[in-house]
Amino acid sequence: MADKSVAKYKISKPERLFALTCALLYSKVGLSKHQILSSIPGYMNEYKPNGNNKTLERKFERDKDTLRHNGIVAEAVIPAHEDENNQATVYVIKKSEFVWPEHIKLTARQLALLSLAAEAWAGGSLSTAANKGIVKLRSMGVVGEDSDIAGIAPRIIEHEPNFREINNAVSDQRVIKFDYRNPNTGVIETRSLEPWLIQQLDGQWIVLGFDQKNKEARNFMLRRMVSKVTVAPNSAPFEAPSPEDVKKATDDLEKFADSQIAKLRIKPDTAAFFRYEPKLREQKSKDVLTLRYYDKFVLAEQIREYPGQIDVIEPKELSELVQAGYKKVVDDHG
Amino acid sequence: MAELRKLSDSDRFNLMLALVGNLIDGAEYDVPELAKHFKVPEIEITNAVKNLGFIEINHHSPYGIDFDDLEDGNVALSFKEKMSLKEVPRLSARQASALAAGLVYLKSIPGLADTKEIETLQQIIASGFGDAKAPEIRINPVGIDLDIRILRQAINKGVAIKCDYQDNKNVTTTDRVIEPLRIDPHSEVIYLRGWCQEKQALRSFRIDRMRNTVILEDVKISDQAKQAELQDEIYVPSDSDVEVVLEVEPGAYGLMYDLKPIAEPVTVNKTSRRFTVKVGDVRNLGRLITRYGGAAKVISPEDARKAVRDFALAAINPETADTPKDAE
Repeated sequence: MADKSVAKYKISKPERLFALTCALLYSKVGLSKHQILSSIPGYMNEYKPNGNNKTLERKFERDKDTLRHNGIVAEAVIPAHEDENNQATVYVIKKSEFVWPEHIKLTARQLALLSLAAEAWAGGSLSTAANKGIVKLRSMGVVGEDSDIAGIAPRIIEHEPNFREINNAVSDQRVIKFDYRNPNTGVIETRSLEPWLIQQLDGQWIVLGFDQKNKEARNFMLRRMVSKVTVAPNSAPFEAPSPEDVKKATDDLEKFADSQIAKLRIKPDTAAFFRYEPKLREQKSKDVLTLRYYDKFVLAEQIREYPGQIDVIEPKELSELVQAGYKKVVDDHG
Repeated sequence: MAELRKLSDSDRFNLMLALVGNLIDGAEYDVPELAKHFKVPEIEITNAVKNLGFIEINHHSPYGIDFDDLEDGNVALSFKEKMSLKEVPRLSARQASALAAGLVYLKSIPGLADTKEIETLQQIIASGFGDAKAPEIRINPVGIDLDIRILRQAINKGVAIKCDYQDNKNVTTTDRVIEPLRIDPHSEVIYLRGWCQEKQALRSFRIDRMRNTVILEDVKISDQAKQAELQDEIYVPSDSDVEVVLEVEPGAYGLMYDLKPIAEPVTVNKTSRRFTVKVGDVRNLGRLITRYGGAAKVISPEDARKAVRDFALAAINPETADTPKDAE
């Protein structure tokens, strides 16, 4: 049998994080930083009893962040009898906040659906988070595949290099900065945004937030960001928007889309016709499709996929945009 | 396969938490079974259990394991102390939000699960994380309103289907027999990946171009089809492909991901990127590039540039030219 005490065994990071979690969960009154660094494997072997432990303290701070990203909060508490004495700070993980609510169970089919939801992110920027989540849920022990769900591989297409950074900023409530290209003028401008919500509309990823310069809620399409999104280091979190603010802003965008109506004539028996046939049927129309849209540039792209098959009846600016795009392509390849 | 990706330290920690939540005190499991359950390589299970066995806090080991048994592929974990963590952990805000967004997406796929079922799961996820706020991601379906139930039935039964299929050239072939393997819903289009009996090869079929689909109860999926390896990419390059250099503006950056450049894209100026891809038939570039209306262009070779130019010219004058052509 392997002897763990003899082998010069180096504690790995996962072990250190696990030991830290156990210790902070099960200590009765919490552990001080000194106790943590001097008694938990992964720290204690490098701990200098009377020396400088700054490196180790930084390691502990980083570990706390890693725990937080895994959904585990190591809370700093000053015991009541210590009066506000910072030196007496201890760290605890509250069991009620750590443990999955016991009354919530998953069936095999539910777990299969959640697995599919996680796999939908495959290769995307949230695949790590989704995968970790599903690994945790699998620990509830239900086994067995739901064959009814086999044979399908949904993918959320998310090719936005800034997606993860923005999503993290939404969750941490951090102001983001980016250069944004106005599609109407082509002008590039730096924007500061308190990001509230990411949504996908018409296949496009959009971040809604409070635009600090214009002092109002605005929507930005991720694909029009021409720089990396940055978050000011150590900046204070912004105040979370009220649900009413978010609702008003998303309603406003929907109202805007309601006001933008295109009429398209679709040539029968073409690929475009096949694509839009279910909608035409729904609208009880033979070949004229009525379409509300969020963004004329995005719709123009969709139309350009079917040259000669879709005739833009109105609005005129959409028809012009489609044609201008064709012309630009011809010029670019002349 | 995506599930066999390499694990990070943070993933491994997460796996340790999940394992102790899953295993019952003293019960025996085997490594392959656990690896299958958690969808990780077997070595990750072995290492995670080893790590648990090595942990010692204040001279107490919370978990007892038999290392020899583990070498033989058996896992039995005994919880030795009061401080042996054994609960199922909650989700983090980011984990919850990623899963919740995945569920929203599943909801938009017709015929996969009923809405009520997904909503129940959304509530479960919402109550299963501890942090104050999970970032919300909303996904509004593009309007894939096609019924995929019949295809899923065929896949589940392991039988072929027959349909009329309209290709890129607007030509419809009737009674095409396809052995369906997997449905790949993408944001705007749903593909059926399957074995085409006529072409004797794996093909991707757009579901919106299939009509009159019927299940062929008597035609079992062939061994050939079963053994054919499905790639994640819809388009798989071949050796005869030509190298094409493309340049994209931000509006068309998506092409850098869709087309799988053969090397890292290079920066041309503040906003433009240039990259090389392999293309089977340059005529296929016409539709792909023209769609972006100038945000993407072909730099070389010349025949690829000409193909795009011809396509866009035909698009401007659909009456005088034939309908723009591209290959299948």
